[in-house]
Amino acid sequence: MDRLFNLLSQSIRAVRAFKMRTFFCLLSVALGIASITTIVAATEGAYKKALDIVERFGPDALLIFGGGEEARAVGQRQKTITLADVEAIKQAFDSAYMVVPMTSIGNITVSYKNKKYQTRIIGSTSDYSHVWTWPVIQGSDFTEEDVRGLQNVGLIGQHVVKELFGEEDPVGKYILVNRIPVEIVGVLIERGTSPTGVLLDDRIILPITTVMRKLQNETQYVSALRVRFYDQKNLYYYVEELRSFLRNRHGIPPEDPDDFTIISPKEIIKFLVALTGSLVAFLGVTGVISLIVAGFVLANLFLLSVQERRQEIGIRRAAGAKRRDILVQFLGESVIITTSGGIAGFLVAFAGKELLTLIAEFPIEFSWKAFAAGLFLSWVIGIGFGLQPAKRASDLNPIEAIRG
Amino acid sequence: MEDIKKTYIMGNQHVEVLKGINLNIEKGEFISIMGTSGSGKTTLMNIIGCLDVPTSGRYILADREVSRLTDDELSVIRNEHVGFVFQNFYLLPYATVLENVLLPTLYIEHQMDGSDKRARELLKLVGIEKRARFKPNQLSGGEQQRVAIARALINNPELVLADEPTGQLDNKTTEEIMNILTTMNKQGKTVVLITHDATVAGYAEKVVHIQDGIIIELP
Repeated sequence: MDRLFNLLSQSIRAVRAFKMRTFFCLLSVALGIASITTIVAATEGAYKKALDIVERFGPDALLIFGGGEEARAVGQRQKTITLADVEAIKQAFDSAYMVVPMTSIGNITVSYKNKKYQTRIIGSTSDYSHVWTWPVIQGSDFTEEDVRGLQNVGLIGQHVVKELFGEEDPVGKYILVNRIPVEIVGVLIERGTSPTGVLLDDRIILPITTVMRKLQNETQYVSALRVRFYDQKNLYYYVEELRSFLRNRHGIPPEDPDDFTIISPKEIIKFLVALTGSLVAFLGVTGVISLIVAGFVLANLFLLSVQERRQEIGIRRAAGAKRRDILVQFLGESVIITTSGGIAGFLVAFAGKELLTLIAEFPIEFSWKAFAAGLFLSWVIGIGFGLQPAKRASDLNPIEAIRG
Repeated sequence: MEDIKKTYIMGNQHVEVLKGINLNIEKGEFISIMGTSGSGKTTLMNIIGCLDVPTSGRYILADREVSRLTDDELSVIRNEHVGFVFQNFYLLPYATVLENVLLPTLYIEHQMDGSDKRARELLKLVGIEKRARFKPNQLSGGEQQRVAIARALINNPELVLADEPTGQLDNKTTEEIMNILTTMNKQGKTVVLITHDATVAGYAEKVVHIQDGIIIELP
């Protein structure tokens, strides 16, 4: 133990003495480790964000859109789900504690006093805020009676509040939605931007009956349907049941694709992770390349160093150093440098994170995992690329070495 | 030392550098080995110092046959029994004087305390205790050689092997260095001095000459 400690203290001595070599090796390792740790952190961040979103939107919930997988963009969805489907699902699935239909129209002009604004109108039931776990912070939800009676009442998102009311309290005020007066009964809490960049607070929720009859002139089709189940564990079993149930109701032959799309929490995660995938791929390629380059820089500078320090090796051997002692010293030098490079790289990545989040909203989450990955890789580089030069140093014949 | 032979293979040629050396060095002796360059004296020194092994023959150092030992075993022998003093001093340029003196203690099999104190005592003995924190390039040649002598003595070896220790030094410094070596010898060290300089060789109690790989008697 004492001997190892002695040898490593010699390594540290040499790392400090040969500053240029240390600097260049450290720099190249740091760059590689910086991108690798960023990748780990970005992947982790994406998962964390995805899980956050699922947690917020309900891990026990499914969202069903009309239209198949191909046409998922807003506004291009076919309407294939009817109010009758909604009723049938309510009847057939005892395991579901909430079945809430939704319909949506974009670019509706709303006005309050002399202020005008274009927003999205959502029609839904009195359970809208519950089914999305989206609390009303001022006023209250509209009621079942409001839905049954086609009342002109609504919930308003924070963004629309800012646009129409500014600092004024919107509860109890009337706004015009397509020239229909609507009383604001509640304000939804701020939700921010969805991962796809949609501003969620830019919407007004009205009773679905009101929207269908008075704005859409529609009697049966809705845009989407949200279902929450008691038993979260069996969620993926319910996905399959719902699918065959709806296919059956819509009379789709087995060879045809679904005319609806079921979005489960799993798919939200998949989607979000794919979103960060391009960053991960880019950094991954540069990271691996720069680490390999760093390894070769290290190996070459160490080979030069061994050549330059032949005499030192000879002196040490004459003083009684065994081959292994020389090997340990040089390997120690390389691992000390790459470890410092790894730590420096982690710090660079940490600083770079601020830059990346400025450019785009990438969820980057640094944790001990990213740190451990960086440290581990720097050891791999240190040992992997330092071994051959260290071996060469230890294999030098002391007599030839000492003559320089 | 009996019938030591050393053959180098250069390409397909066998070059016999030492052609059968018989030499007995008593404990506590001060002996000079003289010879011109190419006479084989450096090869002989390498073998005496356990930096190299002979092709054939027997070499017994401190009651131990060392001519067939492994590389690791030779390292231990060098560490414990031999102190080297070289013509070019061979100090580590990036280490301080004190660190240079302590170098052999790093490789001791069983570490012991007090090396630092001992190193300072040795520096005092060779007269440069005030330079302990200096780097070798801040010292004169004579001072560097004193550091090298202190380093050679730090592990308390029986044998001090000096290869042209004064080759780089002027006459006055040569005298000082030789006096230090003589003092070491008086304190019980076996000193083997390798040189081509008759004046320097004269400090020793016994002088042997080597020529063309064998020890010759001078007329």
